Order: sequence, then structure tokens, then C-alpha cells
Amino acid sequence: MKLLIVDDSALIRSRVARILSDPRLNTIQLLGMAKNGREAIMLFLQHMPDLVTMDITMPEMDGIECTEKMIEIRPDCSILVISALSDKATAIKTLKKGARGFLYKPFSDEDLIAALLEFTNP
Amino acid sequence: MKGINEKDIYTFVDAVSNFFLHATQEKVEIKTAYLLENDVPSSTFDLTSYITLSGDFTGRIYFSAPRTMLTHLLLVMGEQTRDNERLLDAAGEIANTISGNARKHFGETMEISVPTAQATEPDWLKTVVSPHSYVILIKWKHYRASVVVDIQRAGTEAKD
Repeated sequence: MKLLIVDDSALIRSRVARILSDPRLNTIQLLGMAKNGREAIMLFLQHMPDLVTMDITMPEMDGIECTEKMIEIRPDCSILVISALSDKATAIKTLKKGARGFLYKPFSDEDLIAALLEFTNP
Repeated sequence: MKGINEKDIYTFVDAVSNFFLHATQEKVEIKTAYLLENDVPSSTFDLTSYITLSGDFTGRIYFSAPRTMLTHLLLVMGEQTRDNERLLDAAGEIANTISGNARKHFGETMEISVPTAQATEPDWLKTVVSPHSYVILIKWKHYRASVVVDIQRAGTEAKD
């Protein structure tokens, strides 16, 4: 399973990448990281990932618009939104755009592992 | 501050507590929360990040911390890179998380910007926040840091 990390924070990109080294996630292969939605779309078209971790609040193109575009390109792509935006309306909006899951920041390593395992072992 | 009350402020107390608990598995100590008034110097540290609000709210939410604290935080989080850029990124991510979590209380009409983070210049905060802002002083390990909440609901004005 090929994964793309999208987040404007280098700290979060690095943390998600590090968590991927957990043996329970050994079926996931990291293929790239993007710091905004526009960059993410370019990498998405280039690599066609199966799974994307997606921030919402980002410069240039936010995660909601980016999710919508990715799902248009590849409807079976699994998108896990990872965001601090904790209101229900935002979670519902992203799910309506095609995201398959929502994880709130701050999150623990185990929170992310559990969320990703939902996609690798549906 | 018109439109913002103590209950609103506790939303930010909870958010910053929650961040440190998840990031470090350690509780942060809330030293105090008070109206800023003229007590700016004790609430600013080496690096400051902020989120600008729009929608039904105006103002900013700041997080200010010493470099040593952010370096230690990254170490605890397992980060290999702890240069100045990553410290600013961490400060920005904390401000982003605190502000984003506050939408659970304030709702989606509190729109938040991407974070801006920079080295804190002397007296800089004093020139940019209203005297009706709240300061939340925190302590993690032996370090002190602050969250400054300078927000109003749009259409309201601060009153003395």
C-alpha cells in the first residue's frame, strides 16, 4: 500500500513518517511528502498512492479542496484527515468530500497506528 | 473583553494541556490565567507563533516559548532534527493545534489561518495585542511558556 503524507508542518510529516516504521504497518510504503495541497496534487498524479494522510489548514490549497480533487482523480483512494480542527462540521465536510477517516490532533503514536490499520486490515 | 468569557478561556487551557499530554505523555502545569493588561514581559519568550482568526471572530492566538523548552520537547517527541527552523515549526504547530481544538467550543465560524512563527523581539507582543487579552502561563518540566488569547467575536468592541 503506497502512502502520501500531506501536512504543512515538517514536525508532523516527520512524525507520521517515523510512526510508519512500526512493524504493524509494514505493508505501507511511504512514497512522498507534501507541504501543501498544490504540491500534494502533483505528487498524487505522479505516484497514484492508495492512502493519503491529509492536513486541512495549509497554504496555497487546503486539505478539503485537495481531498475533493484527489477523489475526483482516483475515487478508490483512502484519505485519512489528520487535523486539529475539532468541530463536527469540519469532520462531516471532509467525509462528504470523500475522506475515509478523521484523526484529531494532538494524537498519540498508537492513535495513528490504529487509524492506519483500519485501512490496511479493513 | 466583550464576547469572550472565562469559560471560553478554559477552552484554551484544556487545549494546551491536551497537546502536551499527547506529545510528551506528561501533564503540563497551568500556573495562572489572567488579563494581560500591562504585564507583557513575563508572558513572552524566545520564539512566538500565532494564528490569525477570521469569520465570526477577530484577533490572534499566540504561543510563546523558550528555545530550550522547544528543543527538549522535540527530543522527547523523538525528533532527530532540532534546528531553528524545526523549533519555529514546532511552535507554529502548537499554536495551530490549540486554535484548531478551540473550534470544538467556538464552532466552524471561527476560521483560523496557517501559523506564523518568529523570534520574539523585545516588547513586540505589547505592540500587537489588546490590553484585554488573556495570558495562560504554563510550566512543562522546569520551563515556562505562555498562550496569549487576544480574540473578540466580530462586531464587538473591547470595553474598559
